[in-house]
Amino acid sequence: MSATSARPSHAAQPSGSAFILKKALISAAVALVLFSLMIGIRTEAGPQGGLIYWTRFGDLAALVGTVFGGSIIIELLRQWWGPIDTDHIVPKPVQAAMSFAGRWLAPALLVFAFLVPVIFYNQRYILDLSILVLTYVMLGWGLNVVVGLAGLLDLGYVAFYAVGAYSYALLATNFGLSFWVCLPLAGILAAFWGVLLGFPVLRLRGDYLAIVTLAFGEIIRLVIINWQSLTGGPNGVSGIPRPTLFGIPLDNSDDGLAAKLGIDFSPTHRIVFLFYLILAMALLTNWVTIRLRRLPIGRAWEALREDEVACRALGINVTTTKLTAFATGAMFGGFAGAFFATRQGFISPESFTFQESALVLAIVVLGGMGSQLGVALAALTMIGGFELFRGFDQYRMLVFGIAMVLLMIWRPRGLIGHRAPTVYLERNQAISSDLVKEGHG
Amino acid sequence: MSALAATTPLLAVRGVRAAYGKIEALKGVDVEINRGEIVALIGANGAGKSTLMMTIFGRPRARAGTIEYDGHDITGVPTHEIARLRIAQSPEGRRIFPRMSVAENLQMGADATECSEAEREAGLERVFALFPRLKERIAQRGGTLSGGEQQMLAIGRALMSRPRLLMLDEPSLGLAPLIARQIFDAIRTLNRQDGLTVLIVEQNANHALKLAHRGYVMVNGLITLTGTGSELLQRPEIRAAYLEGGRHG
Repeated sequence: MSATSARPSHAAQPSGSAFILKKALISAAVALVLFSLMIGIRTEAGPQGGLIYWTRFGDLAALVGTVFGGSIIIELLRQWWGPIDTDHIVPKPVQAAMSFAGRWLAPALLVFAFLVPVIFYNQRYILDLSILVLTYVMLGWGLNVVVGLAGLLDLGYVAFYAVGAYSYALLATNFGLSFWVCLPLAGILAAFWGVLLGFPVLRLRGDYLAIVTLAFGEIIRLVIINWQSLTGGPNGVSGIPRPTLFGIPLDNSDDGLAAKLGIDFSPTHRIVFLFYLILAMALLTNWVTIRLRRLPIGRAWEALREDEVACRALGINVTTTKLTAFATGAMFGGFAGAFFATRQGFISPESFTFQESALVLAIVVLGGMGSQLGVALAALTMIGGFELFRGFDQYRMLVFGIAMVLLMIWRPRGLIGHRAPTVYLERNQAISSDLVKEGHG
Repeated sequence: MSALAATTPLLAVRGVRAAYGKIEALKGVDVEINRGEIVALIGANGAGKSTLMMTIFGRPRARAGTIEYDGHDITGVPTHEIARLRIAQSPEGRRIFPRMSVAENLQMGADATECSEAEREAGLERVFALFPRLKERIAQRGGTLSGGEQQMLAIGRALMSRPRLLMLDEPSLGLAPLIARQIFDAIRTLNRQDGLTVLIVEQNANHALKLAHRGYVMVNGLITLTGTGSELLQRPEIRAAYLEGGRHG
């Protein structure tokens, strides 16, 4: 590859093959110094206890060569892309294609989602994976209310997921309540805990808020582990009843759904039912969020994210606004938790670690805070991607780390950073706000 | 304070003290604003002008003294309820919502007070009549506006709550003279045509005192001088401190 293929860059930035080569050589030299001892010489305790060593100059050379080549490639990419702050003029046809995709992507995804059980009826693995993805879509949409709209960084979202799951599990196993009775109860209980978390953190913002919510998530988990008599501690709760179709069980029995419809029983029926259940719950979350955004409370959430002082000056009750955001987000987390419990049939504190909170938060941030479609796409890529790379096992986290870093450089505001306004006074003007660069003063 | 005034003032601040921690920013301030008046509050940086405006809104709370609005004591009323009494504020540094559109910013002003659809429409018409630029930029994000337009938006947003008392904190801050004049003209129009009562906090003493019926001069948390706008403009100490020597731009 010749360095001259790089496009002419800005005058301030040096370019040209000499510069690129120099940079690559320096990187290679640093790599040589760093790795010469780490890779180049290998020591081990010999059979008599003495130290034996041998050299691995081949590996060292390969590594230094990789650094050299990689440095050239990265520099070429950088010059091709230009400085990060420049605006790239997107060609007209690409723009048109993108706006077309933007308009039809969400409906197409929705139609596809409805058809998944039909297309993949015989592929249990894909159905299970889709249910998992949808669970995270719902969690992402729920957290999006708190983080994306209200701008309250919540690192303990999994607590509400756990509250919802344990609410259903305990109510169903102890009192024999059905899933449909427990579902709203799980949401209400989670919302209650959301308000409980909200009160002490009303005055906190940003990093301080994040730390407290993180601690809250851990507290809930530790309480579940240690309150053995109620929650079963680390052993979890098992034998959680499966959901029924309004009282009709989806099993092999005589009054099961299959028998009533006069069709052959198949365990897939229950999977398909679970799929449509979580799809409906996720869509409900989405619908409620979209509706709320157009109401004064939703606008107040977004205004709160932008400027708390201005909100106060406008007569917004910051306390109730924050608490409703926490409660709404927590409620959806609770619903998702109840679903998780009925799907698994068994829950234990291990399912509600900080890693889950981090994963859901990553979905929201990668998707573009506040964007419903972005969150759905991010959940699909993250969870689907995790499964795709299952074969690579030890490289999985590495690949994901790199992908996330690259995505954040490429689109700092997430996959879909565009925010659709909720108030229209007249038909849209010709100037779209996206085409105008943000300015101050 | 004598009770000789024929009508009670719309806003009466009496002996108000306020502090940030141990630093006392207001050391017993008396200010009265009558209905239909434009009152200017001038003073140097750190004199406590903005603090007085914020204290009227309950943040920080007054540690002593009373604040009466329309005959009612509002000293201990929560901030968001004060705004519902139709006192509107355009805070220092404009503080518009940058990622929300101009339309949404204006709607935020209307949200806090329960107003009918017709009242909202009328409010919008009024704002657009005062600041036609906002109508042109209605779908743009607030953060993409120029400084002057953002100031217009901040005032427009405050007007959407149909206030009886409008408080403006440094509306000319960082604006080109021509734009600043437009803003001051709009305030004058609002006062003359709509009878709106205005409290304006300014460092640009010349402009503010020419606009105002009355003015107060604040130094180190105390009101040191008061009088009509033209009286204050003639005072040699004002000229020396705020007009000739201290051109703050």
